[in-house]
Amino acid sequence: MNALSTPARLDAPASPRGRQRSRADVVINVIVVLAVLAAIVVGLSTHRFATVANAKAIITSASLVGIAALGLTLITIGGSAVSLAIAPTVAAVGMMFLSAQSLGLVPALAIALLCGVVITGVQGAVVGYAAANPVVLTIAASFAITGLAIGISGGASVAPTGSGYDHLNATPGGVALSVYVLIVLAVAVEWTLRRTGFGRSLYLIGANRPAARVAGLPVGRTTAVAWLGAGALFAVTAAFTAAFNTSANVNLGGTLTFDAIAAVLAGGTSIAGGRGSALRTLAGAVLIAGVSDILLLRGYSTGVQIMVKGLIVLFVVVIVHLRTKGSRA
Amino acid sequence: MTISHFVHQRRSPTVMKLAAAMVGVALLTSACGDGSADDTAAAATGGGLKGKTIDFVGYGKDNPWGAYFNSVFTAKLEAEGAKIVDLTTMDPGTAVTNFNQAISNRPDLIVAALLDTSSMVVPIKKAKQANIPVLVFDGRPDPSVDGDVMQVLSDSEALGTAAAQNLVEGLKAQGKDSGSIIAITGTKSGFASQDRMKGFEAELAKTPGYKIVDVQDGNWDPTLSGKIATQLFAKYGCAGIQGAYGMADYQALPIIAAAKQAGCAVAGKNGVVVTGSNCFKVGIDAIKDGTLYGTATEDPGTIAEQTAAYVARYFNGEKPPAKELVKEERVTAANVAQYAEQCTKA
Repeated sequence: MNALSTPARLDAPASPRGRQRSRADVVINVIVVLAVLAAIVVGLSTHRFATVANAKAIITSASLVGIAALGLTLITIGGSAVSLAIAPTVAAVGMMFLSAQSLGLVPALAIALLCGVVITGVQGAVVGYAAANPVVLTIAASFAITGLAIGISGGASVAPTGSGYDHLNATPGGVALSVYVLIVLAVAVEWTLRRTGFGRSLYLIGANRPAARVAGLPVGRTTAVAWLGAGALFAVTAAFTAAFNTSANVNLGGTLTFDAIAAVLAGGTSIAGGRGSALRTLAGAVLIAGVSDILLLRGYSTGVQIMVKGLIVLFVVVIVHLRTKGSRA
Repeated sequence: MTISHFVHQRRSPTVMKLAAAMVGVALLTSACGDGSADDTAAAATGGGLKGKTIDFVGYGKDNPWGAYFNSVFTAKLEAEGAKIVDLTTMDPGTAVTNFNQAISNRPDLIVAALLDTSSMVVPIKKAKQANIPVLVFDGRPDPSVDGDVMQVLSDSEALGTAAAQNLVEGLKAQGKDSGSIIAITGTKSGFASQDRMKGFEAELAKTPGYKIVDVQDGNWDPTLSGKIATQLFAKYGCAGIQGAYGMADYQALPIIAAAKQAGCAVAGKNGVVVTGSNCFKVGIDAIKDGTLYGTATEDPGTIAEQTAAYVARYFNGEKPPAKELVKEERVTAANVAQYAEQCTKA
């Protein structure tokens, strides 16, 4: 039990590698380094890329996806793969947030957090305690959430009933507030994952759920708490997104579900669970925003940006898979 | 062998049989339907709406514009005795399926919005073969089937023209004879976006000092539009963008938020002039606040009223023109009070 609760290095290889494996690892590392160098060279050779204004734009673009992706990181590390209900959750919570503006910013934020936690927490409880398939469950949940939101709103956009939301669009020090929130939350989630019993249990449950159960870890409760945390982070994303757009409807989330998944995977978190970190997800979100920015500065269309995002995710997933395979060899 | 395994083994063939039966019935129905086109449409061109069946393949209620259009359109026609079969959706693939379903229902009229013009070409041709009249609303159909359908269309070029007029007027009011303009469009491949840009560019060309420096596909997505705007303000800087066009109000407002976050002034004596089009409540509020220079109508209520009136005239045998354009209006602070009511429904 003691050994289970205090893993020394979760990213460390699980077994010694042979000489052949070492060579393969060297090749993978060289490929990764070359890819990073190529991205840096392309970036620096792109007009207006290396400017303060552009750096702000990249981290601002990364911030909303990044906060949602932090939530998804908890879900993924815990072995629940992904949630496909992020965008509908953000949309529904964003609608609640704006419609509650007449109560003031803080009560509206509290309502948004409560909604996010309840909506996602319920799904987490079903996954954790009843071992439901998270993908199937969240597909069903996304339909249910969207249907409910349409039923309540009649399909109309929700306009803010007060002006408190505009505080979320503030730019202290010239940087969007959402960026500061992203950084603080990334550090907080990372600390929770690395330094608390909950975090260590989550890694172990994600790595091997049956073994964790046999070892007496509270699998259901830990999974449900991870989803509750994710729900809170989705709610924060919802509040910032709704405030930025000044209105919200069931389409508010847009492509957020897949953007968040892309950020998590691009950061190197294993889709199989048990590996990854909040800081990696932060890096993944910034990487994708940075590459999209380079493509836009170079005049490529939105379609090309989406395609390249897919290629980045594919590249990282293959690298992570090869490394995982190596560490288990 | 577990009980669940046993049940699974037993259920699979039943499901397969059920599915096969459904496919068989569907094939039989479609086979009986093919080639037996009667003159339903011709018979429908008289006697009013009472008892007429209209299959409505419109936008889904998950779109605010569609939700309000549907409520007005359906209420108007049902009040006059028509039966509306709701086949609305926002998914282009489902829309094709629903349209085909509508053909097999053999209604008196199919009223459709074209989410994907290309994929609707074949269904429209099938409806024509089956002698079922089709009325398309909002966006125009593919040119290959332009003569096969009746149309009540938003005047997209006029909307683009109005947006350009808003920017020119706003920039001139700031005393600027030249300036750089960005545009974040709806889905670029769609006729609505293309036609709006056509009108926008043509109107802007009348004032050569104003140049469009960047056009990006915002895909009618406010969040994506905000991201793109954030990047464009970084790319060109505050001094490099004097005007911005968000093709819908819900795209224009994220542009304003992005400009503010980039530290750029918005509106006023020297700030970025931003315009939207198809007006929404938040756009009207922003015009009143002074952050959005203007918008244009294309509100769902007006086009729903006109489409319903067209259907009524059609069934009354009045033979309305094959194509009607909805008159679009430019909205600025000068006349916002006049359009506030009609623009705050979605």
